[in-house]
Amino acid sequence: MNSDRAYVNKGNRASLFKRISQAVRRDWQLYVLLLPALGFIFVFCYLPLYGIQIAFRDYKAVFGISGSQWVGLKNFRDFFSAYYFKRLLSNTFLLNIYGLFWGFPVPIFLAILLNQIEWPGFKKFTQTVIYIPHFISTVVMAGILYLFLSPDSGIVNVFIEALGGKPIHFMIEPGWFRTLFIASDIWQHAGWNTILYIAALTGIDQELYEAATIDGATKLQKIRYIDIPHLAPIVVMMLILSCGSLLVSNTDKALLMQTPGNMVKSDIIGVYVYQMGLTKAQFSYTAAIGLFINIINFVMIITVNWISKKLGETSLF
Amino acid sequence: MAYIGVKVKKAVGDTVFDVFNTIFWIIVLIVVIYPLWFIIIASVSDPDAVIAGEVLLWPKDFSLIGYEAVFGHKELLHSYLNSIYYTLTGTALSVIVTMMAAYALSRKFAGRKFINFLFVFTMFFSGGLIPQFLMNKRLGLYDTALLMIIINCVSVWNLMVARTYIIMNIPDELYEAAIIDGAGHFKYFIHAVLPLSGTIIAVLSVYYGVARWNDYFTALVYIRDRSKLPLQTILREAVAMLTTSTSTDAFFSAYEGDVKGMTEAIRKALVAKYCSIVISTAPAVVLYMFMQNYFVKGVMLGSLKG
Repeated sequence: MNSDRAYVNKGNRASLFKRISQAVRRDWQLYVLLLPALGFIFVFCYLPLYGIQIAFRDYKAVFGISGSQWVGLKNFRDFFSAYYFKRLLSNTFLLNIYGLFWGFPVPIFLAILLNQIEWPGFKKFTQTVIYIPHFISTVVMAGILYLFLSPDSGIVNVFIEALGGKPIHFMIEPGWFRTLFIASDIWQHAGWNTILYIAALTGIDQELYEAATIDGATKLQKIRYIDIPHLAPIVVMMLILSCGSLLVSNTDKALLMQTPGNMVKSDIIGVYVYQMGLTKAQFSYTAAIGLFINIINFVMIITVNWISKKLGETSLF
Repeated sequence: MAYIGVKVKKAVGDTVFDVFNTIFWIIVLIVVIYPLWFIIIASVSDPDAVIAGEVLLWPKDFSLIGYEAVFGHKELLHSYLNSIYYTLTGTALSVIVTMMAAYALSRKFAGRKFINFLFVFTMFFSGGLIPQFLMNKRLGLYDTALLMIIINCVSVWNLMVARTYIIMNIPDELYEAAIIDGAGHFKYFIHAVLPLSGTIIAVLSVYYGVARWNDYFTALVYIRDRSKLPLQTILREAVAMLTTSTSTDAFFSAYEGDVKGMTEAIRKALVAKYCSIVISTAPAVVLYMFMQNYFVKGVMLGSLKG
């Protein structure tokens, strides 16, 4: 334990080298344990940062990343003046903001009502069931939409026709894109997203409910005066944090749901970057778009984190 | 309630509330379960009955031709095996690497803050798809099975959840005792931390495993050799692409010769889609059901801290 004491003892300052060597001798095994994880994030997260420079170059595979010619901000200017610039930005933003508007309240609502189920068996069963769709893949989710909504064999259109309506081309008409995207998101993830709120509700002191019962409070009153005030800080926090990702693209899903018909609404930044970058090999142009959006997202996330921290310190907890 | 000796009667309002709440949940359960149930019954029904809308609550004209088509589709089966391979190896690697790092970050040592920052920073800023693609290509990982196993190996979010779990659930006294007995970090990690981390290891396995099993985008970007494609990417071609009419619907019906075979193949193709959804989704859902007791507990812990 000698080395330990020397490590802690700051009054007797050893040289930097000595302190480092002591720390390493004491804890080298910890650094070894960290090494694989650090190696992976270095290769997959930090090395690509070096590649960002192609956003400012005219990347040609023959010259490589550092050998291609500098072009300054040309790629960014191209994007800002591109025909689709406004459409891409507004599609990405609107898809997220509508998604937040419709999707955000659902798990809170579900959590409060789930908490009121009195029969434990039914509660457990319900909880188990509403988590299931979360484990379905995005491909399958999109596949379900294509199958159920198919104009000639889908069950939904079979019903519409049975009721005397005309089949609707759900996956082709642009007007349906956001509705389907958001509704299927809610179906898949709202149940799962209750977990956070249920955890918060479980943490409420049971005596509060008992006292309220003695005072003759009804369930609705308990929800109004106990549950909601307890959830409020977390809800505010989650809402603020969600605002940090309003320009993040859910590329996986949008790409799956995109059809030539619904391009007007389904063309979002992530999909555009994938298509222009990887299928049309416009690397520098799309790297610039990616960088532009990443910087915006970074600033927004840092800002909302800062705001939620400030709120947390002063009023919420 | 009972200790003051007064029996508190349930208010009328509460009974009404309970009735409405129960009805509400029954509707929610139907909304969640019915689409899944429909897929299962459609997968074992006759295609004509499915198209005619006669399959509603129960399979009609029970038939397994869809499953025959799926299990007869070599590429699909091959991709299924690929996915099993990528998922098992990738998940094992992820869990081991994450637990090692999570334990290290749960201890105090010189440079921890900085290393922690290196991890957390990657949650907020990334190079973006294109630089990542070019870099991985340059590293020779393009179109390799290795990439499918090691990409996204460490999720920083999972790492933080695991670290929190270790800090909160494994008492520091245990560490003190182990050190006095002369154990180093390796020994302590293997003989004390891992055996006490069953819950979090289960949670990580499900998280990593399901994410890898369900991922199609990585292969779409990086894999060209079709024999290396995972199930989800093949599945996309089978079920998640626009087919304006059944005649362009070639995935399951491509290799039938004459006209008669062709119409039969098209019929098969429709139910085969439902079948492929069933066999691709079953592993993830079954894993979740199997692990759920550990799972909900562990996830709640993580979400409270996060």
